[in-house]
Amino acid sequence: MSASKAARVGEEIWKGRVDKVNAELVVLTYGTIVAQLCKDFDSDYVQVNKQLDKMGYNIGLRLIEDYLAKSNTMRRCSNFRETADMLAKVGFKIFLNITPTVTNWTSDNKQFSLVFEENPLADFVELPDDGRAQDELWYSNIFCGVLRGALEMVQMQVEAHFISDVLRGNDTTEMRVSLIRYIDDELPPEDD
Amino acid sequence: MKVFGEIRHEQVKIGGESGKAYSSLRSTDLFSAAAIMGILALIVINKAGGLIYNRTFGDGLNQLGTNDYLVLAGTFHGVHAITTRLSPIKPQQQVGADGIPGRPDPPSGLEVLETENFWLQCFNTLTGTKFLLFTDTLQTNVDIAMRKVYDLYADYVTKNPFYQLENPIRCDTFDRKLNSYIRETNNAR
Amino acid sequence: MSNLQAPRAGAKEPSGLRYPTNGKTIYHRPLNRAKAAELSGASFAYLFSEMVSYASKKIESIQDLEKRLNVQGHPIGLKLLDLLLYREPARSQTRPLNIITLLHFIKNNVWQHLFGQAADGLEKSSDPSKPDEYMIIDNEPLVNRYISVPRDMSQLNCAAYVAGIIEGVCDGSAFPARVTAHSVGKQEEGEMWPGRTVFLVKFAPEVMERENFLGKG
Repeated sequence: MSASKAARVGEEIWKGRVDKVNAELVVLTYGTIVAQLCKDFDSDYVQVNKQLDKMGYNIGLRLIEDYLAKSNTMRRCSNFRETADMLAKVGFKIFLNITPTVTNWTSDNKQFSLVFEENPLADFVELPDDGRAQDELWYSNIFCGVLRGALEMVQMQVEAHFISDVLRGNDTTEMRVSLIRYIDDELPPEDD
Repeated sequence: MKVFGEIRHEQVKIGGESGKAYSSLRSTDLFSAAAIMGILALIVINKAGGLIYNRTFGDGLNQLGTNDYLVLAGTFHGVHAITTRLSPIKPQQQVGADGIPGRPDPPSGLEVLETENFWLQCFNTLTGTKFLLFTDTLQTNVDIAMRKVYDLYADYVTKNPFYQLENPIRCDTFDRKLNSYIRETNNAR
Repeated sequence: MSNLQAPRAGAKEPSGLRYPTNGKTIYHRPLNRAKAAELSGASFAYLFSEMVSYASKKIESIQDLEKRLNVQGHPIGLKLLDLLLYREPARSQTRPLNIITLLHFIKNNVWQHLFGQAADGLEKSSDPSKPDEYMIIDNEPLVNRYISVPRDMSQLNCAAYVAGIIEGVCDGSAFPARVTAHSVGKQEEGEMWPGRTVFLVKFAPEVMERENFLGKG
């Protein structure tokens, strides 16, 4: 599917097939989850990042079914570039009503960036002014886990992490996504 | 790919695109519409071939013992896997016209199985979960019903914090929504 | 973490935080920007489901789990009180000053904002020995929409999270209360509202004392 078709499909699903709720219910719920983790891990932000990634992974394993059901996807992506477009223009669109930009591909087509112009989860958010949070906490780290979990369920092993965040004072919010390998039961693992 | 095997009165379809061609074969109405029951049963099989859900609607099908359902699920899973291997091997890695390494579609396996009394349609999701709908042989729009069942699964199973993935589905709300959908569909006939 | 206070004057007071070079901070965002924005119900459902799973770890009892969910909702209630009042037209921007106004604010404003419709009922306890108890009724709490509670946890109602939000609104309005969620729907086949939930609001003695005193005046 081409990028422009993916954008159209995402838009159609968002308009016609997605049950919607008030955005602030979601935003405040995510906020209270992160705040609770900061308490539970005693502001050890490295641990908070890990826990957010783990929670995202658990969500991704499940959310993929909702994605496939809503988008009526019957075929898998024919390459990683298509996967990137579907993530950005269908996935993020139907769950968060945003379409991050896909950019900064490596020449082997195995790594790209998602650049977030907007991030609804970060509405109302300012990181703690404790001299550490802006260096250590990735507030939206749950996204990384969601991608990892969701793609694993459709036989893709990926790695995802943030490299910048406006909440840290960076000018952009950017996530790096790398394809590690396709997980095909029948075939021996590919050489990387 | 179209392969039709005659096994006594049962026919087995393998492959993805032959659904339409096949439906014309169904029209030979050997049996009267004695049991117009619509959707008769649903079975869900997890990635490993384990039975995780099993409901019969109405009395169009006999009830089997639990063990038989487990065997049915496991056997279907195994046969499905073998039928995928019957499909011609596709090239491992294709490079598209744009020079991007591609990923070929996986071969599809057994999708439909018919007996004198029921039609069994299998939907294998991209995550490897199988939904098996048993209907009477005159049921139309099985694809639509399948999609609805998958929607209900995505909602009332995967969004339930007390459901552990790959485990038997014990979700009251899913049962309730599924029952009311099936009742509605069957009554509409 | 979240900060819902009205914009600081100039937002220039010294802080150790770094900001993007365009200088944009959350204080430059209009507070009403996301007022009517929508996100998918699925996003909420998966987040909430994960919150419940996380809260279910190492619990000793169902009450324990409900308490944790309540605690996660509480700060949201505190913040929503400010946010929703801030968005009211100036003449109705005052905090609720008696129990009934407060409960109506919760039943209507809070529910409408969070769940897209007012709660289904508001009742005072009919037991004369419990004048401090009120009930907010929701026939089908949005947070429970996709949840099936296992038989062995039948006491549990995950809307304890919403009870925490209500409690936050009450506490923030200086009407300290304990709020708990109770399932009252019948489980029979064909039941219209199997997930019917009563939020029991029990006000602190000092609230009742004040209310009685003001009532006499």
